[in-house]
Amino acid sequence: MSNLRIIPRLDIKGPNLIKGVHLEGLRVMGDPQEYAVRYYEAGADELVYMDIVASLYGRNNLSDIIRHAADRVFIPITVGGGIRSVDDARHILRSGADKVAINTAAVARPALVTEVSRRFGSQAMVLSIEAKQIASGKWEAYTDNGRERTGLDVIEWAIKGVELGAGEILLTSVDREGTRKGFDVDLVRQVSDAVPVPIIASGGMGSVDHFVQVAVQGHADAVSMADILHYKRIPLGQIREAALNAGLSVREL
Amino acid sequence: MEKIPYPAQIDRSRFEGDSHAQETKYGLPSEVRFCVRCVISNQRPNSAVEYSHVKESKKKTINLDDEGVCDACRFAEKKKSTIDWDERERRLRDLCDQHRSRTGEYDCIVPGSGGKDSFFASHILRTKYGMHPLTVTWAPHIYTEWGWKNFQGWIHAGHDNLLTTPNGRVHRLLTRLAVDNLFHPFQAFMFGQKSLAPKMALLHKIPLVFFGENEAEYGNPISDTESAKRDWSYFTAQDQSKVSLGGVSVPDLKRRFGVEQQDLIPYLPADPNQIEEQKVEVHYLGFYLKWHPQSCYYYAVEHGGFQASPERTPGTYSKYNSIDDRIDDFHYYTTGVKFGLGRASYDAAQEIRSGDITREEGVALVKRFDHEFPERFADEIFRYLSIPESEFPEASRMFEQPNMTREYFMRLADQFRSPHLWTWEGGQWKLRHAVWHEAHRVA
Repeated sequence: MSNLRIIPRLDIKGPNLIKGVHLEGLRVMGDPQEYAVRYYEAGADELVYMDIVASLYGRNNLSDIIRHAADRVFIPITVGGGIRSVDDARHILRSGADKVAINTAAVARPALVTEVSRRFGSQAMVLSIEAKQIASGKWEAYTDNGRERTGLDVIEWAIKGVELGAGEILLTSVDREGTRKGFDVDLVRQVSDAVPVPIIASGGMGSVDHFVQVAVQGHADAVSMADILHYKRIPLGQIREAALNAGLSVREL
Repeated sequence: MEKIPYPAQIDRSRFEGDSHAQETKYGLPSEVRFCVRCVISNQRPNSAVEYSHVKESKKKTINLDDEGVCDACRFAEKKKSTIDWDERERRLRDLCDQHRSRTGEYDCIVPGSGGKDSFFASHILRTKYGMHPLTVTWAPHIYTEWGWKNFQGWIHAGHDNLLTTPNGRVHRLLTRLAVDNLFHPFQAFMFGQKSLAPKMALLHKIPLVFFGENEAEYGNPISDTESAKRDWSYFTAQDQSKVSLGGVSVPDLKRRFGVEQQDLIPYLPADPNQIEEQKVEVHYLGFYLKWHPQSCYYYAVEHGGFQASPERTPGTYSKYNSIDDRIDDFHYYTTGVKFGLGRASYDAAQEIRSGDITREEGVALVKRFDHEFPERFADEIFRYLSIPESEFPEASRMFEQPNMTREYFMRLADQFRSPHLWTWEGGQWKLRHAVWHEAHRVA
């Protein structure tokens, strides 16, 4: 079994690192570069950058931030937000990203997933899904940073996304995001079990137990976290240590 | 009074070109100016006394100063700089000390919906200031599922609540009248929102009422913020015969629309003499504590499991404020028609003042969302606004067409457009002045 990856998630708006609750009520935290370097030095396996209002404002301006990050951070970087074409993806990858995450534009035009995957390899094509529970065992995919409904069933959309060429899925629970109440383990497990590609679980981490739960019961391949790190509730090293103690296969530093 | 006519098609030629561009409705200023700091314009009306709101009423609007900055932004500036919040909090503690019950009886009333702001108010009064609040709620027209859930979350976070739900038929009739006469679908709600708490204070002999933030945070005259107490004129009236609901006088409502005195009890203002006798005091908690809607949201999530709505509200980008009532979407749609300011303008202006978004972001959000038609609950709202004979035997006769349809609603909308704001161009309505037309300005 490959290592369970620890992935700090940096949501970006304009020049700032921001954080919300249910992807709403966005709060300015500070300079994303400082946080990125801190997490890299603390032993993060990868980083996710999301320009979370790129679709909302119809803009995309992460490339400068990524270029700076790539100078000082030597772990894989996934970048999402406002990528609407193969050209956009190329631009972001040239800036120093290793993968692109696509949500809104993939829902609008699913062929984009195939185009990006063919051009840059499926390992570089991460399908980002924002999931909101609509009934027991049923979730709907949202776009525009959890603001717009799509009518798409999350499980079906994940399967289709992988068929189209996505090599990984970043799965965010809008219901749990920013609440520190734990991951939507049921959601993560259902998507994990439905597709052969790795799943990054995102949204809700408030304690080390949540990490263990989503790995063991949710079958997540990677765990993304924001609030717990940005607000310095628990240091990254301690999360890794606790995961090791729980017998999880995380990278030993 | 006459029957309410089916809205006639307006003469759109008055809106073409510039010849009528100075003509204004509602006493709005003919020159449209936008605040250089936020996105609000000088067309934004101040809070009005709804009891005297009739078709002919003239609006007082937000003040922009010599530097082009609106009063709400000036107040936001004051909140950050000159107000001594420690001193204000001491005054709150003093006020609470004077009123705090020693027997465990209720000692204050907090009105609200269980949204983020009222959640914060009642919860902090109870847990931090040791008060014993009774929360009171004036029900929305039609609850959203998430609004109802958050209301429940509020109660289950440790509050007693009295939910007042007015007679549905009367509420529908008054709302329909307010739409036809004033294009103001939210008015029936506002009567209760403003007067329920003081009336409950009289009824239950709890003389201290806490509202949340002062309306001046959004643009009422800045002088209003110098007092902690709410102006009585919003919730009292000496003479019922001078009160209008839905733009119709109380005597006419009774004579023509089959409304009885009992039906009006929930809507009528409090008696100012009784307010005086029982020494009811209505305070703004926002006078004492530095109000930040986004922080209230975080607080409500943390302490009550408050949920943002599952999708953004039509006409705006936000998911966390004013989400309880299905008619709310239409409220802001109508302000968009009447004043050129839709929901995104109000939301963005507030978030810019709080420092949560930049003006540039705000402008982009207004441009994208502001005048979007509220499709999601439209059919249900039009049914709600219909006054069929089977349910309203008397009132339905007062409408040339008791049934509300989309066409009816859009014709009405056109009647409420002011030529100085709107132009009819290429077969569609366009704003003559929009915040995104302006050259980029930073104050």
